[in-house]
Amino acid sequence: MTALTVPAAPAARPTPLPRLVRIELLKLTSTRLPYGLLATSLGLSLLFTILEAARAGTPNGPVALTGYAGQSQIVTGGVWGLIFASVLGVTVSSGEFRHHTATLTYLATPSRSRVLAAKAAAGAVAGAVFGLTVYVITLAVGFSFVAARGYHLAIGAGTLADWGAGHLVGAALLGVIGVVVGSLVRSQVATVTGVFVWMIIIESLIGGLFNAARPYLPYTAATALAGTPLGAASFGPGRGASGAAPLPFAASTALLAAIALAGAVIAARTTIRRDVS
Amino acid sequence: MAIIHVQGLVKRFGPVTAVDDLSFTVKPGTITGFLGPNGAGKTTTLRMLLGLVAPDAGTATVNGQPYAALPEPLHQVGAVLEASSFHPGRTARAHLRIQALAADADASRIEDVLDLVGLADAAGRRIGGFSLGMRQRLGLATALLADPEVLILDEPANGLDPEGVRWLRGLLRGFAAEGGTVLVSSHMLAEVAQTIDSVVIIDHGHLVAQGPVTEMTANGNDLEEAFFQLTRETAR
Repeated sequence: MTALTVPAAPAARPTPLPRLVRIELLKLTSTRLPYGLLATSLGLSLLFTILEAARAGTPNGPVALTGYAGQSQIVTGGVWGLIFASVLGVTVSSGEFRHHTATLTYLATPSRSRVLAAKAAAGAVAGAVFGLTVYVITLAVGFSFVAARGYHLAIGAGTLADWGAGHLVGAALLGVIGVVVGSLVRSQVATVTGVFVWMIIIESLIGGLFNAARPYLPYTAATALAGTPLGAASFGPGRGASGAAPLPFAASTALLAAIALAGAVIAARTTIRRDVS
Repeated sequence: MAIIHVQGLVKRFGPVTAVDDLSFTVKPGTITGFLGPNGAGKTTTLRMLLGLVAPDAGTATVNGQPYAALPEPLHQVGAVLEASSFHPGRTARAHLRIQALAADADASRIEDVLDLVGLADAAGRRIGGFSLGMRQRLGLATALLADPEVLILDEPANGLDPEGVRWLRGLLRGFAAEGGTVLVSSHMLAEVAQTIDSVVIIDHGHLVAQGPVTEMTANGNDLEEAFFQLTRETAR
């Protein structure tokens, strides 16, 4: 009797992760939404910066632009780049369900955890671009007010570079968190609304009520990375008031990365396994 | 040997059993109509076959493997499941560029498939402005991009005008003539009757009949009459 040998089926060859990230970035850049979000975040940041700079030194206005305190304050308008980096991250993942494109995505790459990883990486890249772009332009406009009034620059180049790195890292990590949240809650409208409500209202409330908890709130930690004093990026009664110290750069980074990772693990075990129908 | 093999497939949505112990096979090089009334479980079955919906029991394989385990799945299976699965703000060409990158297909295929489905002139337009028929054509272009061996199509004639339906028939016949396999679902029998070689008929998630069209129509009935007769018998 002759033994039959059955050839082994060829193993699935997963798409390399760098190509999956390129696909996600191509998806982003082939629609108008990211450009609109970037323009909006830039517009809001400039609006706040110009208002703060114009009112600086007036009787009821912010501190004058003569020194470090006043000059650093006008850079805080750049936090809108962080908020919108997170919103962009949400659209990267929840947009697939809003437009029913998840079907095609998962047909091309059946490994859903690899898709999530690629989306997180794309969210980080896009978030970093948002954070850095808004920071650089806000800085240029803000400091043009300083120069126009004949004051000298009171902030050192090293500090400005640190804040730039903070905008880049903070926005990248908020972009990843946005991707993860958009994977956990597939409704894009609910998630985008939730991001604004969390960052503008809930963190301001928690931070105002529980000062000790403020440095550990994700949006606040990202703004601290970007050089914003604790409370300065809050809205409403919580604005400005803070008895706590911001987390160091590494600790803020680790906190945001841990939140992103925890959310990604939960999404990988729950929502992204759901039926796509 | 079957290229598509569905064995004992079951899917429940809460108290509703959408697909109930369904088994059928599709031979290579054939055009098989996957027929059934609305709500029969056709779309759910196709989504389980493509790994998008997890079955509660049973298996569904293409080339002997579950879809998720296929090496380079888009080179083996091209699928059109819904005409609305496109980002409305993206142009047709940008959509295909993304899909070509995902499939690792040659970029030159983009213009080929655009020509093939008659969308070359509309390639630079945003998909949000496309008619349903144009979206169906774009779906077919997407499915054909990586030159697959198998096409799985869910109601591909929806939204096509009579000329489009005729074009689709020619496309499917040409694909099968070159050795490709097609599994095409429809609830509009007249549209598929002239194209298919064999049928799988399901109703209420159950298999009603499977076989060559010539067998179904051997007693002088046309496919439509045979379909109604078979689905009436299961309903009793």
